[in-house]
Amino acid sequence: MLLSQNVSAIGPLNLYPMVHISLVFGISYVAPVLSDEHCTLKMRFRNFQSVLSWELKNHSIVPTHYTLWYTIMSKREDMKVVKDCINVTRSFCDLTDVWVNTTDMYIPQVVGFRENAKLVICMGSFFLVPDKPLDPPEFEIVGFTNHISVNVKFQFDSPGILSEELQFYLAFIEEHAGNSVKRHQPQITGNITKNFNYVIDKLIPNTNYCISVYFEPKDPRKINRSPLKCTLFRPRRESESSESATIGGIITLFLITAVFISTVMILKRIGYICLRNDFPKVLNFYKLSVWVFAELPPLEKVATVEVIHVNRKKKVWNYNYDDENDIENEAAPHLISGGYTKHGLTGKLCPTSTTSPSLEDCSLEDCSEPSAEEPYLPEPKGDAETPMAPGPGLWQSEGTSGGYQTRGTLWQDPTSEEDSDSTEGSEGRIVFNVNLNSVCVRALEDDKDSEVTLMSPSCPEETVELEDLNETESSVLVASEEGTQLPFTNPSTECPRPQDAPSDKSDTSDPDVDMGDGYIVRQVNLKKFN
Amino acid sequence: MITKPDGIRKYVWLACLMGLFITGILSLDCNSLNVRLRRVTWQNLQLLSTMSNSFPIECLQERKAFELPQEILSYTQPLQKNIKEAFYEMSKQAFHIFTQDTFQSTWEEKHLRQVQIGLDHQLQYLEQCLEEEEEENEDTREREELLSAGEETLRKPSGAPVLQLGNLDLRRYFNRIDRFLKDKKHSHCAWEIVRVEIRRCFYFFQKLTALLRRR
Repeated sequence: MLLSQNVSAIGPLNLYPMVHISLVFGISYVAPVLSDEHCTLKMRFRNFQSVLSWELKNHSIVPTHYTLWYTIMSKREDMKVVKDCINVTRSFCDLTDVWVNTTDMYIPQVVGFRENAKLVICMGSFFLVPDKPLDPPEFEIVGFTNHISVNVKFQFDSPGILSEELQFYLAFIEEHAGNSVKRHQPQITGNITKNFNYVIDKLIPNTNYCISVYFEPKDPRKINRSPLKCTLFRPRRESESSESATIGGIITLFLITAVFISTVMILKRIGYICLRNDFPKVLNFYKLSVWVFAELPPLEKVATVEVIHVNRKKKVWNYNYDDENDIENEAAPHLISGGYTKHGLTGKLCPTSTTSPSLEDCSLEDCSEPSAEEPYLPEPKGDAETPMAPGPGLWQSEGTSGGYQTRGTLWQDPTSEEDSDSTEGSEGRIVFNVNLNSVCVRALEDDKDSEVTLMSPSCPEETVELEDLNETESSVLVASEEGTQLPFTNPSTECPRPQDAPSDKSDTSDPDVDMGDGYIVRQVNLKKFN
Repeated sequence: MITKPDGIRKYVWLACLMGLFITGILSLDCNSLNVRLRRVTWQNLQLLSTMSNSFPIECLQERKAFELPQEILSYTQPLQKNIKEAFYEMSKQAFHIFTQDTFQSTWEEKHLRQVQIGLDHQLQYLEQCLEEEEEENEDTREREELLSAGEETLRKPSGAPVLQLGNLDLRRYFNRIDRFLKDKKHSHCAWEIVRVEIRRCFYFFQKLTALLRRR
């Protein structure tokens, strides 16, 4: 019953307030009261991030959710709802991507609901002016050989406001070097990405540089600088150059040493340096006496030969074979094979033996013409060895030993370089030493040829086979290696002068006798000669 | 023998004289135009922002689009002269608006005075710098005329026509504001709307100074 009375009491009388209330709510919803008395709106514009927050003044009325609208002052536009802030339970809203015009004034409206009923409406007006200086951007510094690179990183999520405002909020780079501070203003143009690079050059070597980056605030008194990042500027090029110079020097030194060592080794190998000191005994010159007094080479055993030069006209053969004496007497020197020069010994050896019938036969033929000078018969020298070597000029030999006195003439070698005139200057006499070892003695094959050529025993080719000689009839012309001594006839024995003997007669019979030990014996029938 | 008060008076006189010279030198330092403009504009902007506590929401319905010209600096040559003349025109017009006697009494009077003084100083500074620049241009023009005497040379289009177009847009803009005030009979909402709009204009010109720094 009581419930019915209450209901009846409530009925029309109670309906009035309900209607009133509903009307009030209705009016308030349709025409919201533009007043911020219910809540306090705050705008945080930091690092280009716009966050609108609200706080209720009356905590007795707590909406369950909120919705945000906004409009601008520059145009007559209706309220626009923020899509990300519809029926949100939080008391803030991120408007970074919504509010991008920094010159305009924004009029936000926050409506608090409880279920579907509006509890509070809050409005305000804001410029996008940073309440605090922009936070400095992050950056990295890298030192190079001649500059420092500063890489500034913008961590802004709003590209729209970034491109516009970054041009306005220029970033500055401060360069701290010691007590000096230098400010750099990088040029930021165009669409800016999230970071950009700035190069600081013209730096002092070996100086510590500290870099700080910040955005230029509107109020110069409120600069929010970043922490300093320092680096020691050390031109690496110099250090690198010094290091490279050191390395280069070491390599160069190594190469020089290697080349030097290899050169020394090569020279030693080829024997140019560091010669062997184990010389043969013959090369031991440690005896000072040897150095000082050089030992003379042993003298060669020579024999003294006196050469008598006889000038004789050149005979031109007139194609007359009648003149045999000229042919016989001539002993044209001709070369012996082997490089020896052969000189004919004209004349005949006189036998020493009186029993020899050839005493008259044995004579030295005068090889010269009647107009020529008479041959000169030098006296044999005692100590003279028998000259056997062919020499220039004409020489006559006279043997005193043995049984024969030998005289001979040696025609001058036409190939000799000596001029006949020179011999004339020496009065027709040439004396020279003849090494018997260097001459050959050889007897000519032709019996008529009375010439006796001397050959050295070293030329066996020239050795002529000799026949057995009759010692009694032959004169011996002995040539030995050790020394040659012509057998000389007794001084008492006179050899017939060749003038008395017919020149065209050759009475020589020269049986050759081989002595058996390399000597060549020639038996010559001597003719009388003057 | 110079007494102490006489000495102080003498030195004070010298200091004031020097201060005047320094002030005069600094004031006429048109090379630091960018810095000066940025500083004065920012100060005025801050003053307009703090002149009133908050924008009355009830005046939101009476707002109007005054169409601030965004392309008064579309021509880049000569940019510096262009910006100086634009600043001069803006300062002159704003000064005219804020010197009307019908300003709101609810506003902080001291803040309004400061805005008026700042705009006045900025005007004087810009006038002197523009006169100096004009004298230099005349000397240059005379030299060029002497060099090209006897030849018909077409005068290169200076920035004046372009600048006139920019200044004309600014003048029209501020005329719209002035007309709005008169139409609204200098009501509270009208003044609030004008305050917000001029503050927006100052902020736009503040960005122009960044162009001077970059170039």
